[in-house]
Amino acid sequence: MQGLIDTWVDVQSWILETAVHPLLFRFGYMTFFEDAPFVVETLMLGVVQIAVILLVFRPLERLAPAEHWPDRKLARVDVVYTLLSKLGLLPFIVFVVLYPVNDWLQESVRDYDLMLPTVEQVVPWLRDKPLLLFATYFLLYDLAGYLLHRMQHAVPWWWALHSLHHSQRQVTCWSDDRNHVLDDVLASFYFAVVALLIGVQPSQYVALLLVSRLVESFSHANVRFGFGRVLDKLVVDPWFHRTHHARASASKPHIHDSNFGAVLPVWDLLFGTAVYDYKRRPTGVDSRDADADNGKGWLGQQVAVLGRLGRAIIASFRPRRLAHPAE
Amino acid sequence: MSSFSPRQCLAVVSVILGAALAVPAMASPPQLAIVLNSDEGSLSIVDRQSMKEVDKRPIGREPHHLMLTPDGKELIIGSTATNELTFLDPVTGEMRRRLRNILDPYQLGFSPDGKWFVTAAYRMNHVDIYEAGEFRLVKRLPLHSLPSHMAFTRDNKQVLVTMQGSNQLVAIDLATQEVAWTADVGEAPAGVYAMPDGRRVLIGLTGEDAVAVLDLEQKRVIKWVVTGRGAHNIFRMPGDETRVLVTNRVDGSISLFDTTKLEVIDTIRAPGGPDDLDFTPDGKQIWVTQRWRRRVMAIDLATRQIVATVNVGRSPHGIYINGPGTVSRSMSPPPEAADPRTAQTPPKASFLPQILAPLAPLLR
Repeated sequence: MQGLIDTWVDVQSWILETAVHPLLFRFGYMTFFEDAPFVVETLMLGVVQIAVILLVFRPLERLAPAEHWPDRKLARVDVVYTLLSKLGLLPFIVFVVLYPVNDWLQESVRDYDLMLPTVEQVVPWLRDKPLLLFATYFLLYDLAGYLLHRMQHAVPWWWALHSLHHSQRQVTCWSDDRNHVLDDVLASFYFAVVALLIGVQPSQYVALLLVSRLVESFSHANVRFGFGRVLDKLVVDPWFHRTHHARASASKPHIHDSNFGAVLPVWDLLFGTAVYDYKRRPTGVDSRDADADNGKGWLGQQVAVLGRLGRAIIASFRPRRLAHPAE
Repeated sequence: MSSFSPRQCLAVVSVILGAALAVPAMASPPQLAIVLNSDEGSLSIVDRQSMKEVDKRPIGREPHHLMLTPDGKELIIGSTATNELTFLDPVTGEMRRRLRNILDPYQLGFSPDGKWFVTAAYRMNHVDIYEAGEFRLVKRLPLHSLPSHMAFTRDNKQVLVTMQGSNQLVAIDLATQEVAWTADVGEAPAGVYAMPDGRRVLIGLTGEDAVAVLDLEQKRVIKWVVTGRGAHNIFRMPGDETRVLVTNRVDGSISLFDTTKLEVIDTIRAPGGPDDLDFTPDGKQIWVTQRWRRRVMAIDLATRQIVATVNVGRSPHGIYINGPGTVSRSMSPPPEAADPRTAQTPPKASFLPQILAPLAPLLR
């Protein structure tokens, strides 16, 4: 294990020392010097995730697909999302939005002498148990993610953004990162507020963070198996999440308003949004507007969603609101 | 034949037992290095003889810097994400107490007269001035941006804080607790060192490859001396104020700098983003944190070679070496009130072991 950590650290150091730091120095961005190791590690994690998708998840999709398609043309754009997200866009957003917003929020709150305690200060027993503390934060942040996801579905203008994630008719292991840039920025802002309320999530257990991200990718995989009827109550699997991506139908108009959990299904079980019926359904949305995302490229989708967002905001000022634009 | 009285018998037994038990009593304290792993909220205890991490203990999150109290009896760690100070036994590294609601205590410093305790909040952009005895906050000065390192003027009147974001040095008057003056010094200033002449300070410019020399009367930089890319922190050599060490984080080197001639004497290779360092009690080695390599390295100052590296935790930052002769290098200039060297001298071997102490009156 130490050998693996040493290799990881050596690769990270090599990237930093031969490329990143000299470039930051050369172009006068040394105030970002301390953050560079985090950014490089995030990119390295992205590379590992892409490798696992290519070498494990894709072969599994070929071996046991849940849905058979004549081709995977519609899925290709999601590869772009994944590459952008894991190798550039998401770390960039976190770096440019999450960090400054988090610091600005903390400074603002400081000026009112209102510093909220962190989890370990509320429960001092957790102080000496870093793994348990990590697990506690993991649970809390997964819960925060669940609540965010509920809002993405419940707030009409936010759904206009998030419907991009659901409009894919060919949901695959590449689909996890299919989000509008503005949706990612909003999520970053949301998690900055969460960090202010409960403290920043520890990040030292890189392997566990990697596994959780892989769970999220795998839950989108087009495979016809899950983790079994016991384990799927503990960890989100493709069966569970595919129900969330199911196309609404007359008999199940709210099917995608279920199974919101990202890694842990416990929140769906607790809040009554879990659906375990193990039925295979086609994926996508039944809104013609959102369904038109299919066939568009990355830029086309980003622009189209902005139009949808504008229409949703205008609609929200009308006296009679639609309960759900997707229905 | 003379006979021994009971008191004499006890004295003889005490002497024999004392001699037998004197060896453990003379044993030195463990030779440790205490390293703060800023990204995992822990401290590593490194045994300097076996060159191994022997313990890792959770501590408040994002601990960056540490320093001795002026009396040398406690080691203070600032945990910036949990807003607290942790006080350790400086010899063993055992935790003694915590002090909460010290916001973002990134850099720590006691004024040389021991009256003020100052923290620079790098993340939250302020400088806090505390009354040192009770750690009572007397003033918070919001300062943009990125207050980074600090040094006190030799006359105890001002604390000088580098602003890594706005490229300035800010002088704060300790009596009025207001900003006295500000000077532009160069890109991303970090470490600051008050020179023995009381007139000049050295400032490590992390965004450049040099150390700036600032004249305190003119309140401006009068000279730049090239050390290496990413010049960062400045440490005075123990017992020798004519030389300092400058860590160059981008170049991965440490410059040996002459403060009288204002020139680099030698450059030591130190890869891995050398940040903080401390000296072994004999002054022969420096131990340096390698931030992203997750290691500390020991460098022999005579040969200028790395003699060992030790794996620690994520992003090791502050480092402290225990033992007699340890210098509170964080305090620039050195404290007047008490010298930590004397405070940490191990207890002298007692001829009368502790377990026989109750017998002491009989021997008088």
